[in-house]
Amino acid sequence: MNETAITVHDVTAHYGSKKALDQVNLTVPTGAHFALLGPNGAGKTTLVNILCTLRRPDGGTAVVAGADVIARPTQARRSIGVVFQDSSLDDRLTAWENLEFHGLVYGMAAKPRRAMISTVLELVELGDWTHEIVRTFSGGMRRRLEIARALLHRPKILFLDEPTVGLDAQTRQRIWQYLDRLRRESGLTVLTTTHYIEEVENADIVCIIDHGRIIAEAPPEQLKKDHGIRWLHVVPQDATAAEAIVQRFPQAQRLSGTGLALPAGDDDRTDAFLAEFRDRLSEIRFHPPTLESVFLSLTGRELRDRADGQRDADRAAGRRGGRR
Amino acid sequence: MEAMMLLRGLYAIWLREITRATRDRAQLIGGVSRPLIWLLILGVGLNPYFRGEIYGEVRFVIPYTYLQFLFPAVIVLNIMYTSIQFAVSVIWDREFGFLREILVSPMPRPLILLGKVLGGSTIATIHGGLVLILARFADVTLSLQQMFTALGLMFVLAFGLTSFGVILAARVRSFEGFGVFSNTIILPLYFTSSSVFPLDPALTRTQMVTAYPEWLVFLVQVNPITYAVDALRGVIIGFNQFPPTYGLAVIFGMAAVFFVVALIDFSRS
Repeated sequence: MNETAITVHDVTAHYGSKKALDQVNLTVPTGAHFALLGPNGAGKTTLVNILCTLRRPDGGTAVVAGADVIARPTQARRSIGVVFQDSSLDDRLTAWENLEFHGLVYGMAAKPRRAMISTVLELVELGDWTHEIVRTFSGGMRRRLEIARALLHRPKILFLDEPTVGLDAQTRQRIWQYLDRLRRESGLTVLTTTHYIEEVENADIVCIIDHGRIIAEAPPEQLKKDHGIRWLHVVPQDATAAEAIVQRFPQAQRLSGTGLALPAGDDDRTDAFLAEFRDRLSEIRFHPPTLESVFLSLTGRELRDRADGQRDADRAAGRRGGRR
Repeated sequence: MEAMMLLRGLYAIWLREITRATRDRAQLIGGVSRPLIWLLILGVGLNPYFRGEIYGEVRFVIPYTYLQFLFPAVIVLNIMYTSIQFAVSVIWDREFGFLREILVSPMPRPLILLGKVLGGSTIATIHGGLVLILARFADVTLSLQQMFTALGLMFVLAFGLTSFGVILAARVRSFEGFGVFSNTIILPLYFTSSSVFPLDPALTRTQMVTAYPEWLVFLVQVNPITYAVDALRGVIIGFNQFPPTYGLAVIFGMAAVFFVVALIDFSRS
C-alpha cells in the first residue's frame, strides 16, 4: 500500500488578482485523519476543490491516491469521496435514489451496491427514511445522507468540507467511530476542513492555514507544545487586589465574575506576579494550551465565526426562494 | 468491465432525468394540454377555412384537412417545448450544487452530457408521442412502420433540440431569465416553420412570393424547424413541401452540431 495518500507540491491558485493559495505544500500519510484548520476564506475549500479535481491549480502539482489530479483526474476521482460544504443532493429524489445514482455512476454492480446502500443508510440512521424525498429532510439529515453517499463506493480518501455543521453530538460521534474503524481496517484517509476547534482535537495531524499559506502542520499535542501558551487564571481576594494586578500587569484579562487571566509563558513574569500577589489571591489555576490559543498566537485572530451557521441556513433558504 | 461501469453511469444519469420528469406535474400537464389546445381549438377552429374547394381549384391547397396538416407540427411543438425547457434541469444542477456530485465522479464529461441529453430527449419524445394518441381524432391513420419511423425521427429531433437547450443553459444565469428566453425562441421558430400554414398556396414560385411577403418566405426557408416539420409530415401524412432528404439532413445535422457545441461548452465549464 502506498504510504502517502495525498501529496501537494507548490500549489498556487488565484481568484482574479487575489491569491487564494500561495505555494502550498502538504503530505498526508495513508490512514491518517488530517485536518485543515483555518478561518473562512483561508483557502481551505479551494484546496479541497483542487484535490478533488474540480479546479485546476494555477501552479504546482497534487497527487491523490497515486494519481496526478491534472494528468489523470479520472483515476483520482475513482479513489475519492467528497462531502461538500453546501448540499449537493438532488432533493427531488428519495434518499435511496440519490444513493443508487451515486453507486451506478461509480460503476458498482447491483449486489454490492444494494448491500452498501443499506449499510451506509443504517450508519447515518436514515434507514426509516430510505424512500422519502430529500426535499422533506432537515439540514442535519441531508448532511448525514451526504456523508453516507460519499462512503458508498468505498473511497480510499474521504474529503469532508466543514463536515459536521448541523450534526448533533451523538451522530457526529457515531460517524467518527465508523470512520476510525475504516481507517484502521482499510486504510481510509480522511481530510477534513473546519473552522471549529472541537473538530480537530482528535485529528492525527492539524494543518493551520490562513491567507492561502500553511502556517503550521503537526499533531495537535505538538502544536500546543510549540505554539500554545499556558494561561494562569486567578481569583483575587478583593476588588482592590484586582485593580492592583491590572495596574501592575496590563496584559491581564478580566474573566467573567471576579477572575483574571494572565498569559503564563516560560518567562519570569509569572514568578514575579506570584511573588508579588501570592497573598492577595484566593485561587490560582493553570490552564494548559488549547488549539484555540495556538491559533490565536499563530494568526493573531479569533478563529470562530459564530454567526456562520445562521448565515449558511439563510443562504440555503435564499437559494430556494424561501421555500422548503 | 470498464465499459459496463460506464454504461451503469450513463443509465443512472438518464434514469435521474426520467424520474425527475415524472415527478414534475407542471411539465406533464403542459405536455398534455398543449396538443389538446392546438389541435382541439386552433385545429378544429381553422379546419373549415383550409379547404381548396373554397376557390374551386383543387390543386391550389394541399389535399389534406387542416387538422391533418397541423398534426405533425403539433408533435414538433411539443418536442420543442420539452427539449428546450430541459435547459432548466441543467441550470438546476448547476445552481443547486448537484453538478459537483457528477463532476467529482469518475464519469467522463462527454458521457455525463450524453446521459443528460438522452434523458431529456426521451422525455421530449414521450411528450411528442402523447400527441400521437390524438391521431385518430385528427383523422390520421398510421401504420406500425410509420409510427416507429416517426418516433425515431422525433427522438433524433429531440436530441438536437435538447442539446440546443443545454447550449442556451450555459449562457443563461437564472431560471427567471430562461422562462422569457425560451418563449421568445420557441413560438417564433414554430410560427415560421410552415407549421400552421403551408408555404406554397400557389402553383408556381412567382405566385408563391406574391402570396406571401418575401421576408416571411425567407424566414420560413432559413428556419431549420421548417424542415423538421416537413420530414415528420412526410412520414405521418405523406405530404412534403421540400425534398424529403432535406428534413432528414437537417434533423440529423442539428443533433450532431448542437451536441458537439454543447459538449465543447460543457467541457469548458
